[in-house]
Amino acid sequence: MGRIVGIDLGTTNSLVAYADSQTGQPKCIPGPYGDTLCPSVVSLDPDGSIIVGEPARRRLLTQPERTIYSVKRLMGRGPSDIQTELKLFPFRIDPSSKNVIRVVLGDKIFTPPEISAFILRELKNWAEAFFGEAVDRAVITVPAYFNDAQRQATKDAGKIAGLGVLRLVNEPTAAALAYGLHEKQRGKVAVYDLGGGTFDISILKLISTNDGDIYQVLSTNGDTHLGGDDIDNLLQAFVHELILQQDEIDFSPHGELAQELRKSLISLKHQLSEAETATLRFPLPNGSVFVREFTRGEFEALIRPIVDRTIVPLKQALADAQLKPADIEEVVLVGGTTRTPLVRRMVQEFFDRKPHTELNPDEVVALGAAVQANILDRGVNNMLLLDVTPLSLGIETYGGAVAKIIPRNSTIPASAQELYTTGVDNQTGIDIHVLQGERELAKDCRSLARFTLKVPPAPAGLQRIEVRFLIDANGILQVAAKDLRTGEGHSIEVQPSYGINDSEIERMLEESIEYAEQDFAERQLIEARTEAESILTATAKALANPQVAGLSAEEGAKIAASVAALQEAAAGSDYKLIRKRIDELNHATEHLAELLMNSAVSTALEGRKLAEV
Amino acid sequence: MSTAPTSTNTPLVCWNCHERTVGTHFCSACGKLQQIPQSLDYFALFEMPKKLWIEMDGLEQKFLQLSWKLHPDNFVNATEMERELSLQRSSELNDAYRTLRDPVGRVEYLLGIEGERKEGEKKQQAPPELLEEVFELNESLDELREAKESGGDLTALRVSLEAARGNFQEKLVEVDGQLQSAARDWDAALTADSAARKKIMARLNELLNRRSYIRNLVTNVQKELL
Repeated sequence: MGRIVGIDLGTTNSLVAYADSQTGQPKCIPGPYGDTLCPSVVSLDPDGSIIVGEPARRRLLTQPERTIYSVKRLMGRGPSDIQTELKLFPFRIDPSSKNVIRVVLGDKIFTPPEISAFILRELKNWAEAFFGEAVDRAVITVPAYFNDAQRQATKDAGKIAGLGVLRLVNEPTAAALAYGLHEKQRGKVAVYDLGGGTFDISILKLISTNDGDIYQVLSTNGDTHLGGDDIDNLLQAFVHELILQQDEIDFSPHGELAQELRKSLISLKHQLSEAETATLRFPLPNGSVFVREFTRGEFEALIRPIVDRTIVPLKQALADAQLKPADIEEVVLVGGTTRTPLVRRMVQEFFDRKPHTELNPDEVVALGAAVQANILDRGVNNMLLLDVTPLSLGIETYGGAVAKIIPRNSTIPASAQELYTTGVDNQTGIDIHVLQGERELAKDCRSLARFTLKVPPAPAGLQRIEVRFLIDANGILQVAAKDLRTGEGHSIEVQPSYGINDSEIERMLEESIEYAEQDFAERQLIEARTEAESILTATAKALANPQVAGLSAEEGAKIAASVAALQEAAAGSDYKLIRKRIDELNHATEHLAELLMNSAVSTALEGRKLAEV
Repeated sequence: MSTAPTSTNTPLVCWNCHERTVGTHFCSACGKLQQIPQSLDYFALFEMPKKLWIEMDGLEQKFLQLSWKLHPDNFVNATEMERELSLQRSSELNDAYRTLRDPVGRVEYLLGIEGERKEGEKKQQAPPELLEEVFELNESLDELREAKESGGDLTALRVSLEAARGNFQEKLVEVDGQLQSAARDWDAALTADSAARKKIMARLNELLNRRSYIRNLVTNVQKELL
């Protein structure tokens, strides 16, 4: 058997971690660029190969129609669910999409689990390069508030990537595991997890027993559509409007310019977490530069409604755990968006307690996944995780109402039995509709599956079929039926409302292996070429700017020579040489990059590469 | 969502070594996890008498102890049969803990296993002594709905409905008190004859129905007042 890892499959970034075999301490594994964060971006190269992570992220600007980000937002969702997403994100959905969304990348069509599988496979490669050994199993984290279909889609992604998914762990719970090791906390803990795309709040009880430590989740709540992306969208809409009024430039929301603006605004957002003021300088197509200073106060007033949206789930989770804010002994912050001072202040005020921020909020979920992977690999020895299902499970009854059979926040695995019989003579089927959600009407809940119990014709009420609904430790539903008259298992065919069937997964796995079979050097070459292409484009664009006049003749010549050298290297197949030439060109254009920025921001951008400006 | 295999119960003989087993959870001969014995109700699972007053700390301790043993995390590398059994056993453990922890759920469960839980046609019927108040409440609710539709003044109706809600909430507290007292009667009659116990169960059943009826009323009023 190969190695086992923990994976945080995030909306914006994904990470892979492992637990040290000696100490059990978890660590994140760096990728080829030395960074532990792998942007959750996938691009289909015109030559048919798949590019993942940082090089794919650069292609968001150069090849937006072949590149996709935030695919996690589409996991386990149907075409009718994502109308809001389509307004805000440049997803290209294939019109043939029925229950499962299909996304167009260039000339090919993929399901969201396939795209997530490319990210998982990339992380698997990172880990294999790091260990020098095969990696075949993983614990993958999901937002606590993910429903059955979203969880199933994540598990499918793991299968397609050739990974045995030992467990799906809720992100806030994973974070608590990582912190528990770090801090040896006891008592009641709140984990506030605001990431790129999702918000989760979990209330846990940490208990020491003679057998070891138990992490018992008391309640969880959240919003699968709330995160840093919403702040970015808001900023983007706000600045779009300013530019429209001032310069009368209206740009298509998903075009290259919009992507560049978004990038600048994300950087502005990060600066405002550190400094009281920050200035946006954004070069416009008409040659002018849009300049606007933002104070932190203005920024906070703008994003306040988004941060406030976390309060309702927060209160609900506490109420479900039958606790008050003062009962919480420790508060843990997870997710990049919790770096925002406003979020920290709000959480601190709510609990009247200073939250923990010792661990890197980007890494802590992956670290916890590695801890759980280690527990599962070695068998439970001194730690046990008891998690809950975030949403109530119900079945449709007469008149479109929903009867709840497993309440939300039940410890999983959890189950419920229902007895079914026929209502009229010679009825041959009993229809069952399974749903998830808190609302009272079936149409307001999430449909998980429909199936028909087939029975032989008999007088009404004679048949007695017991159906057992079971939510497993991954939060995924299983259904089994038993004929109580014979005691025999009763076969059922369950058609999930959203999801891919097993034979499709098989096919996707095979195709995914084909993509993966390009050898390592080839992948490196593709990535190096992509990077070369992106820096060459950026350089050409920069050289067209009037600021070039500030360069010395010597500097100009050096840039020209470096460009030529990189172009020559990129035409060849030595990826190491291409990387070397990229570094040289980056070095040669440092002054040019500075010139493009006004002196005020240039200090903040010192050492930046041209492609990042 | 997937379809789980169904296991058939063959209690008291180990599925693995085919010895007659003694332990509740594991085979006393080979140590393998066993199927759920059909006779094992939630009280027996926690090794507790069938009493309605439960000491919560003790229940939690036992729950945590059994979780260590039965949780699927223990069986990740085990055979498919054992993984499936662990899923069944640990879900039953969690179901049992959820049920027994809840004072009302516990009474419903007890009556269920004793065959004395009868919702029947009485479920939709108002308890006789409440008939008049329920009739008035339904009238007020209808008026409020009509007023909402025609855009009339809601203030007075709201006030009277708020009062009605308060009144029924008090009744809910009252029923809960009566349930507690009947539960104490049950615990005290643990060794009494079956006729006496049946009588207490009939009383518990009646109180449960009454409670669920009043609770529905309160929920309905709350919905209209939102």
